[in-house]
Amino acid sequence: MKRALTLVIALAAISAVALVAGRAQAAPTAGQDTNLTGAGATFPYPLISKWIPELAKAYGININYSPTGSGAGIASITARTVDFGASDAPLSSSQLADCKSCVVVPWALSATSVPYNIPGVNGRLKLDGPTLASIYLGRITNWNDAAIKRLNGSLNLPDLKITPVYRSDGSGTTYNFTEYLSSVSPAFKSEVGVNTSVSWKTGVGARGSSGVAGVVKSTAGALTYVDVAYSIANKFQFATIRNRAGKFATPGLRGINAAVSKLPKKVTSLQQLKIVDPPASAGPLAYPIVTFTYVIVPTNSSKAADLRKMVYWAVTRGQQFGPPLLFAKLPVPVQAFAFREIKKIQAT
Amino acid sequence: MSHSEDVQDRHDVTVSSNNLRKRRIVERLFAASGILSAAIAVGILALVLGTVLFKGLSQLKLDFFTKPRPLFGEEGGIADALVGSAVIVGMCIVVAVPLAVLIAIYMSEYAGPRVSPFLRIVLDVLNGVPAIVVGIFIFGILVVGHGQSAVYGALALAILMLPMVARATQEVLEIVPRSQREAALALGVTKWRTTWSIVLPSAIGGILTGVVIAVARVAGETAPLLFTSSIAANQVSLDVSHALPTLPVAIFTFSESPDPNEQAAGWAAALVLIAFVLVLNIAAKLIAGRQRRKLEGI
Amino acid sequence: MSTTTTDPAASGTALERRGIPLGDLLFRGAAAAAAYGVVVLLGLITWKILDLAWPAIQEFGLEFIWTEAWNPVTDTYGALTFIYGTVVTSVIALLLATPLSIAIALFLTEIAPRRLAAPIATMIELLAAIPSVVLGLWGILVFGPWVAQHLEPWLESTLGFLPIFSGDPSQAGMLPAALVLTIMIIPITSAICRELFIRTPRELTDGAMALGSTRWEAIRGVMFAYAAPGIAAAVLLGLGRAFGEAIAVTQVIGGADYISRSLFAPADTLGSRIASQYQGATSQLQAGSLLYLAAILMVISLVTNVLAQLIVRKFEKQRRAV
Repeated sequence: MKRALTLVIALAAISAVALVAGRAQAAPTAGQDTNLTGAGATFPYPLISKWIPELAKAYGININYSPTGSGAGIASITARTVDFGASDAPLSSSQLADCKSCVVVPWALSATSVPYNIPGVNGRLKLDGPTLASIYLGRITNWNDAAIKRLNGSLNLPDLKITPVYRSDGSGTTYNFTEYLSSVSPAFKSEVGVNTSVSWKTGVGARGSSGVAGVVKSTAGALTYVDVAYSIANKFQFATIRNRAGKFATPGLRGINAAVSKLPKKVTSLQQLKIVDPPASAGPLAYPIVTFTYVIVPTNSSKAADLRKMVYWAVTRGQQFGPPLLFAKLPVPVQAFAFREIKKIQAT
Repeated sequence: MSHSEDVQDRHDVTVSSNNLRKRRIVERLFAASGILSAAIAVGILALVLGTVLFKGLSQLKLDFFTKPRPLFGEEGGIADALVGSAVIVGMCIVVAVPLAVLIAIYMSEYAGPRVSPFLRIVLDVLNGVPAIVVGIFIFGILVVGHGQSAVYGALALAILMLPMVARATQEVLEIVPRSQREAALALGVTKWRTTWSIVLPSAIGGILTGVVIAVARVAGETAPLLFTSSIAANQVSLDVSHALPTLPVAIFTFSESPDPNEQAAGWAAALVLIAFVLVLNIAAKLIAGRQRRKLEGI
Repeated sequence: MSTTTTDPAASGTALERRGIPLGDLLFRGAAAAAAYGVVVLLGLITWKILDLAWPAIQEFGLEFIWTEAWNPVTDTYGALTFIYGTVVTSVIALLLATPLSIAIALFLTEIAPRRLAAPIATMIELLAAIPSVVLGLWGILVFGPWVAQHLEPWLESTLGFLPIFSGDPSQAGMLPAALVLTIMIIPITSAICRELFIRTPRELTDGAMALGSTRWEAIRGVMFAYAAPGIAAAVLLGLGRAFGEAIAVTQVIGGADYISRSLFAPADTLGSRIASQYQGATSQLQAGSLLYLAAILMVISLVTNVLAQLIVRKFEKQRRAV
């Protein structure tokens, strides 16, 4: 018995030493596979999932990415608990200051779809901004409401309660959605506002794009806002949304490309990348709820070389993996802007 | 006098006491409610375990145990989460158990009559700190600025495990008869050797039981790991300087997914976790039983 | 001379034999360090939580506790919604779990034959062993939908005149969360009650029954009176567990920012809000406010726990005096 105990203590001591020694090996040696840890938006997760094996093949860079939400992505990179963060929401000036010399680089582009679960409905739902805002303000509570019927004359909308579902975690998709609703509804702007996390007047919260998709799947009458790749993967019906040109647009590649067609030829700041509710001149196909999604990289970390490789690859060769998942390729002016930002990531 | 009245009642069948009948009905209700409640509790247990078993069993193919967690839209398993959980719980045991035993020894062998109850209160308070608060504590003190790691996760779990094992150890140490210690000391054995070679070995069964039960509790904790070891690669890894995936966090993520494949993986992972916890609990009971028989044999 | 001796009396270092108890000093020192280290740890945890919550405590003061708001856009926060959610879910769980637990404990100690009691007691302990994340998984995928599709409509049709049972059924809300907490508390409370009832001196109930009371009357009149403090402690410990549960609750409660009258509607608790928003806090003030919630949670858990301990200690003294 005593011998067993001594053995256990010896083992413990040895493992403790191994632990400490292992900890000391923080920096990877050159020539080995490197690891980059990232966290953030769930929105680009389908695309990042495709990038991970490709980047490992191309440069031997192993990426761990955790879709914890844009808010968590910003917080994590600010606290330097990860090597890079990802967010669909651009950083506010105070967040940028807190991050202490980070660059924000757009690396993907897609649409926020509005999937719904209306059992037995005989067609595609049409919605417009003000109606959607009223639903999320709790003013329209039933699918057979006159306002919805007005947009959908031929649909057999049932007498079913609407359950609006929102992201309970800090989400860039929330930022995109609330930015759109605030621009089309003054009431929404004053009562709720724009942020990655807002105080919703009604509805049910769930974590992550997966979470909201899960609630919609299992709740009759639910609707939510989520990246179109999640809607497609879960075979949801999603609504067409009326744009400024008066037409009901679909969140597909054509809708996304039309939405970004009015960007300036030279992009010099993130402010110019606001593409919600594009003007009528963007055309009849322009989908109103489109967003860029960004990677947040510190400019002066020890892994700068690998981070540069990763981001550069993502905005060039990585783009080809986008279209099957309904991520449109970055427009040329945006790609040029990305290159300029990437240059700021220096090796220490 | 009252005795004759009772006799009269018993003989007088027609004057049956309504009060007595009411009391007998109440007595039956009491028995019935007891049986019903136990049935409800057992029923709920059967429901939950049955659902996990039913939905999870079909997923338990070999692939499930050899593939890591899936990326978006793909199939996978829990290999990386199993390894990660094993490593983190292992480290947690190595840190928590020696400390807990030392604390218990101090409380039962060395501490004065005022100090020992004070320490008991401290341990009980520590036990009552919610797991999520412990997770945030380790996050604030260690993770910020350094990144997540399996070591930090293990430390958070160790804080949860410490009071449980210390308490269990202390109770077992108190059971060891004073006479054993006094006899050894009278023979000239130093105090620490007495504790080490005589008291502890008698208590080892009880300590082991306490450890096994604590491990069963801690292996299923999610909240502390969310903040300390949740951002991990989808591959099997032993690198404890970075975060490792764990079974409870994997179940948590799967539970919120709309993908039927991921939900099924969640059930299967839950089955594995419950099986592990159940086995540990049964082992603890067996050890405790053997210990009791050994003590009774003395 | 063989040194593999197991005779402790014959050992000892040279120092020890000379009367300087080095081994004792080291051992005692290590044990003391561990013991006082725990005290330091507890202090450290308290300090760190308060330290992280400080920006919010400074900004909002004590008003935070009764403010119903959670708005990251305007950076105004308040804890009322979550204190309300924590208290209501836990109290409902308590109201449902306590009679059930007492009845189960009585069943196991008084009614069930000995051979049946042991396996059933084990099964109820196994209910305690189910990790909360698994209960949450079952809650989201099975129990929540059942509550929304069957239980809540039934409650609404029978008791719908009460505002707490009115409104639209929802699979994520206060009611599913309270019921999941009930399932968690029952094993703890019933195990403690069972221990209590086993240790109650037989003479008390035997005496009552000899005087003509039925078994139930003896239990109700005598055993409960004797075990009341212990039952109170068991209830408080179960309550403490319910207060602190974050994971299973956050999976089924729906994350709302405001208080609703109906139990069907989404709500949120202290632990659940911390779990869902802490990692993604958009501003220092939001992070600080979440930690302020954690501080409130710690205080509530502490008070409940200490109260339970005090009652237990008084009860033990009473018991030894009997």
